[in-house]
Amino acid sequence: MIPTIESGIPGFDELTISEISEGGIPEKSTTLIYGPPKTGKSIFCNQFTYHGLLKQEPCLYLTTDQSLKQLQSNMMEFQWLIMNYIQNQTLYVIDGISHLSGAKLEETNNIKSSSVANSSDMMVKIGIGTRSVYKKSNHFRSVLDSINTLITFNPDQMVIRVLKAYLRRIREARGSGIIAYTEGVADLETENILKSLFDNIIRLDGKNIHFEYLSEENDEIHNFEATYTITDKGFVIEKK
Amino acid sequence: MKKTHIPKLDDFLGGGIPGGSSILFCAVPGVECEAFGYQILNGNIEDGDKGFIFTNVTEPQNIIYEFNKYGWNLEKYLEEEKVFFVDGSSNFMGVPPMGKYTIDELSQIEGIVLKAIDDIPNGVGVINNLSTLLDYLDDDKIIEIISKWNKRAKEKNTILVYIFTKWDYDPKIIENIKNSVDSVISLTSIEERVIIGQGFMVTSASWTTPSKNLVLFFVLQPGGVKIYIPKILVTGPYNAGKTSFVKSISKKSVSVERMAMEKFPTTIAMDIGHVDHKGFVADVFGTPGQERFDLMLDVLAKEAVGAFILVDSTEPQTFARAKEMINKTQSEAIPKIIVANKQDLPGALSPEQIREIMKLDKSIPIIPTIVNENTGVEEALDTLLNLLYGD
Repeated sequence: MIPTIESGIPGFDELTISEISEGGIPEKSTTLIYGPPKTGKSIFCNQFTYHGLLKQEPCLYLTTDQSLKQLQSNMMEFQWLIMNYIQNQTLYVIDGISHLSGAKLEETNNIKSSSVANSSDMMVKIGIGTRSVYKKSNHFRSVLDSINTLITFNPDQMVIRVLKAYLRRIREARGSGIIAYTEGVADLETENILKSLFDNIIRLDGKNIHFEYLSEENDEIHNFEATYTITDKGFVIEKK
Repeated sequence: MKKTHIPKLDDFLGGGIPGGSSILFCAVPGVECEAFGYQILNGNIEDGDKGFIFTNVTEPQNIIYEFNKYGWNLEKYLEEEKVFFVDGSSNFMGVPPMGKYTIDELSQIEGIVLKAIDDIPNGVGVINNLSTLLDYLDDDKIIEIISKWNKRAKEKNTILVYIFTKWDYDPKIIENIKNSVDSVISLTSIEERVIIGQGFMVTSASWTTPSKNLVLFFVLQPGGVKIYIPKILVTGPYNAGKTSFVKSISKKSVSVERMAMEKFPTTIAMDIGHVDHKGFVADVFGTPGQERFDLMLDVLAKEAVGAFILVDSTEPQTFARAKEMINKTQSEAIPKIIVANKQDLPGALSPEQIREIMKLDKSIPIIPTIVNENTGVEEALDTLLNLLYGD
């Protein structure tokens, strides 16, 4: 059986049960979640983060589309309260966007400000952040929401380079990472390279979720499909 | 010669950087590099020179803010016109530009930076960041631009400091960039699953034969680049030979010990030594082996960059205790090796047997030694240093 972690998405872990897995997201792997705008990618990521925090799994969260403030209030809509986790430092946030709005983020041990255009600085903070969460627990989660803003401010090649370095960092430290991307932001060629960088892929289209991963156990690609809805409790996979 | 104002670096460079030279800080992604450029600039402005910062990674306002955090007053220098910005960021980020020169499109970069160099004869210009240019321009074009800037800087006796992050570029282009400058300083990381330390080393300097020592550093706010002497931990069960090991790898050492049961000495606080081996310096801390001193191990393990775990190869019943100590260093993500001591005694287990009994992963080297005879000690030292710094 491959080791997995609980996704925190109702129905997801049941959906992904197979002969080699008890369901959930393969542990210590990287997942790309993508699809058209407004299909629930961020909600999926946040739910994944919050579930980890509930289980004492720290999280390195890199937010580039929305500021930490917005992230907090978006999560609050689903009653996912992260303030405590920021205070007890199990949630490590790198905010790559706040400074663009001119807001000066108050930096602390686990809240860092960076810029989507300054990949070198972002990578430094990712390095410090992975060390911090790794030392807290060797079961940590990592979220990057999303690649879109990076693509807006950098050449595609550069984004690929940064992602490779980022994913290597997460893999080395044996974290489980989810990275969000909105379909169509990059050209098709870049999009294909992007997909090739990840162990697992989740595609959302507003109605259906498709999850695929390559198992090293039997060298087979495993596919799962279902419909989903977004409720006031978050992302929910519908029963067949 | 101008000072870099980076501790140790001037010594390695034979006193500093000659006017008109170009210097490249080449960093592994994740290692702090901007501070080096800013510190050189700030120090030289304080010395009375002029300078500029070319930025294509963040807006000038943020750099002023960063300088403030280091405790350096860039705003004052801007007002006094000792420093100016070449703003290659704001227009691309969609915010109002700020600075003597601003860049609206990529084709202007070459010419505008040349102008900036002209404006500060005998000064210091910082280019942050070269790698951000690389994916916008052809490989040949970037080399051509660097050569033109360096040529002009030479004429004006101006120092150019390039900040460069070594993403996964074609090794050829990295080589070409390194060959285009007078001096290369490598910024590397010490890793064990995560980055646990950062170091700099002079790789080349056209004006001198540099000392190629790796120096560990961290960046302080306020303060800037500071160097530190790393700690290496020597631990292991009671009577494994830790004190002798610390003595044999150190030039000088002291030990706080007392006679156990009035028969033989045992360490009750710690052994302290200092290693100076092939250009690498470190303070060595040997912990007491007895469990009642584990608190010391916890404290020391938090700050160490590497660990030797000594075992008495003839005492397998102590291996469980050694394993416990390994786990302790494991959770602190410290590179480590096992030193299998007392190989000369009858009944000594081989490294393979020890690995088997302790169920140790292949990634942890086990070095057979006879510490009392100084056999295998140098090899143990080399092996750990290799783990820390690679080749």
